[in-house]
Amino acid sequence: MRDAPIVSARGFGYRYATGSAPALAGIDLDLAPGSFTLLAGESGSGKSTLLRALCGLVPHFHGGAAEGELEVAGLSVRDHGPGELAAACGTVFQDPETQVVMGGVRAELALALEHQGAAPGAVARAVEEVALALGIAQLLDRRTETLSGGELQRVAIAAALVHRPALLVLDEPTSQLDPVAGDELIWLLRRLNEEWGTAIAIAEHRIDRCLPAADRVVALEGGAVACDAAPADFLGWAVDRGGALATPVARMFALAGLRPLPTSVKAARDGLRAAGLLPGADGGDLPAATGAPAGPVAGSVRDMDVSHHRPDGDAGSAGDAGSAGDAGSAGRGARPWRRRRGPEPAVAARGAWLEIADGPAILRGVEFAAAPGERIALMGRNGAGKSTLLRLLKGLAEPTRGRVERAGEVALLLQNPGDFLIHEHAVQEAGEEGLAAAGLAGRGAANPRDLSGGERQRLALEVALGGGGPWAAVCLDEPTRGMDRAHKDALVARIGALAAAGAAVVVATHDTEFAAAFAERIVLLGDGVAIGDGPPAEVLAGGWHFSTEVARALGGAGGALLAEQGAETIGRELVR
Amino acid sequence: MSRGGATVGSARGPAGVPIPAYRPGSSPLHAARAGATAAFCLALALTAMLYSDPLVLGAVVAAVALAGVAAGVGAEIRRAALIALPLVVLVAVINPLVYRGGDTVLVRGFEILGRPLDITLEALVAGALAGLRVGAIVMAFGLFTACVDPDELLRMFRRVSYRSALTGALATRLVPVLARDALRIGDAGRCRPRPPGRLAVARATLAGALDRAVDVAAALEVRGYSAGGRPARRHRPWSRHDLRVAGAAAAIAVAAVAFAAAGAGAVETYPRIEVAAGPPELALCAVLLVAAALPFAGRAARLGVARA
Repeated sequence: MRDAPIVSARGFGYRYATGSAPALAGIDLDLAPGSFTLLAGESGSGKSTLLRALCGLVPHFHGGAAEGELEVAGLSVRDHGPGELAAACGTVFQDPETQVVMGGVRAELALALEHQGAAPGAVARAVEEVALALGIAQLLDRRTETLSGGELQRVAIAAALVHRPALLVLDEPTSQLDPVAGDELIWLLRRLNEEWGTAIAIAEHRIDRCLPAADRVVALEGGAVACDAAPADFLGWAVDRGGALATPVARMFALAGLRPLPTSVKAARDGLRAAGLLPGADGGDLPAATGAPAGPVAGSVRDMDVSHHRPDGDAGSAGDAGSAGDAGSAGRGARPWRRRRGPEPAVAARGAWLEIADGPAILRGVEFAAAPGERIALMGRNGAGKSTLLRLLKGLAEPTRGRVERAGEVALLLQNPGDFLIHEHAVQEAGEEGLAAAGLAGRGAANPRDLSGGERQRLALEVALGGGGPWAAVCLDEPTRGMDRAHKDALVARIGALAAAGAAVVVATHDTEFAAAFAERIVLLGDGVAIGDGPPAEVLAGGWHFSTEVARALGGAGGALLAEQGAETIGRELVR
Repeated sequence: MSRGGATVGSARGPAGVPIPAYRPGSSPLHAARAGATAAFCLALALTAMLYSDPLVLGAVVAAVALAGVAAGVGAEIRRAALIALPLVVLVAVINPLVYRGGDTVLVRGFEILGRPLDITLEALVAGALAGLRVGAIVMAFGLFTACVDPDELLRMFRRVSYRSALTGALATRLVPVLARDALRIGDAGRCRPRPPGRLAVARATLAGALDRAVDVAAALEVRGYSAGGRPARRHRPWSRHDLRVAGAAAAIAVAAVAFAAAGAGAVETYPRIEVAAGPPELALCAVLLVAAALPFAGRAARLGVARA
């Protein structure tokens, strides 16, 4: 006999108290115990609302009106509030900072069980067990304010799991984390799902990150279920709908006319091998990532020309574009990209050090220059010094040694767009002109805090630009966190417009696909110095971590980074 | 081309709020149960409240400093002292300005707000003693903040007043979060072409705090807060540190009350200064200092904590 579903929805709909349209409508859904379900959809599609309904916050915490039926572990969410549903459903939100309640990790983990009136011995054992299961035993005696974002998110998951709920719902839990911590979190969830049988329902914009772990995808559009299928079938649906929700390798396959669509990089490589486009198991190992395009491999896409691949699709060497540089290579080691004599840099750091009085040196003599109109992605692991370098360029901090040169004003958009929005009405933030530039014309009366994440990001950028200019340089710090693909595409266009107006655009980002889409130069920071500097096709195509999904699938062949480039590379090989 | 950053200066890390804060430690005061350590600190504060005698107040300050240094939280005690300093000066300065008692006039005919005012030595000394008392109390609470695990303390109170204690826990947790928010919003303001005024930044920080509060409330709900269970009583055997710290707290409190009842530490400031500084006061000071050192005394205490 089949187990009863852990989640069962029949015609469930919901409208926020202040909403003009239903946030959810006609949801019919069954989630099996022990399943791993990915909720996909663009911003505003209803993912978060559905997750909040699963834990009872909708309608009990947010108010509004619900219709139809939604049951979690046999409890109707219309009749049972979050307190009652908490026994069956653990919940993790986006921002780890505001879901950790207590000052110490041990107390935090104990809180849910103490609410249930569990005996002290049972609480202590459960805390120990969940800490060991999630690999955070070493954090038990730490204060929560001393934890990193990744550690804090793990603590939040442990706190949600400590009483062993049958269902764990997570709303974009990796959006505030760096890619390494995000990937680790997804695989941790997969392990919990497999070993404990905990059903997982997770909403994520980074489909490529979650798809290999999921065994089902539910895509929402306008608050309704638009697709409910296995990952491979979902990709087919997503590609047919324009590809906004498809992973880069799936789009590459679709553009190249290859089937089946891969749900992971491994599946993509297998598919390419099956099509004779990559060497098979007996065809020799794929060269290790070197930071430079891989060497020739007969009969594969690896031996293709890299020179014509530019993020913006132009022909010619990336090194010639807009900047004063001949193409260096990350593969040639840690030398900065050698620069030809050219125009005065728009902004430059000359041997810049930043040493904290009671801590380590964050920057160690960084040499960096951006030419007018140049589009640069600043990459590197957390703590590599990206944000600090941007703050130096803006003048928010002064180097302890070395100097910063600016040809004019520098704009900086910091990581949290909400920090820029301090007025009651959007029009007070950026004026009518700024609103129009942000694509928010006619929304001037709205409270900035009521705008969506993408809208806030666009508005904050206009606030930072202030209708001023011309800007010598515009710096953006992690502007794509939690942003869906449509908004990223819009940001790429905005960056292009700023660069065309003559501003050097420097963007600190972990998002390799985004970097490949907008940048003509990648500067890789590590331990406070530049360890790679060159065109995207060279820096990102052969990297291991700093590499796009398409580049990983193709093994760096042809310097292809994006789906379109990969498909073109494959297409040329198929023709040949 | 303008050049910035030529100035060599000290870099500032993430700015912390310069107030004492709890950090887990391995000292006997940290290892003892929260109730015992809290009682120890409160006993010292109680002593400061009961006495105006400069000898006794000095002994309280010395006892707090001694315990703080021995517990490895000397920096936190120093922070508390720095916080208290303006208050001490304020009290010491205001008293002679508003009180005209005392026989020893230092400045005659001084006029404030149209009122003639004599400044007397006695009023100055009384102000200084009041300031010293405030300083001692603030320092004792600094020791409390640095050594008492707020989670454990609040857990204790949750059994008595669940919602109030949880509100306290949240407030404790959110203070550093909001401090960081304010710093970030301030930085974002500096990134605007026209930086906003302080009032706008303060208002944005407050609005952000309300948003944070809503998020935290949602987090509490999904942790079963509305289920309303109270933590069960935890039977925890008394450790050596619990006994030593609680014993020291009892000794300080009993001595302070007993000596006060016996009339020790009497101070008269008006019309002339009379400060008791006899054997009872000296004995009380000795008790305070010995009791403050008691939790740290003995080989077992030190090794036991190191191995905990």
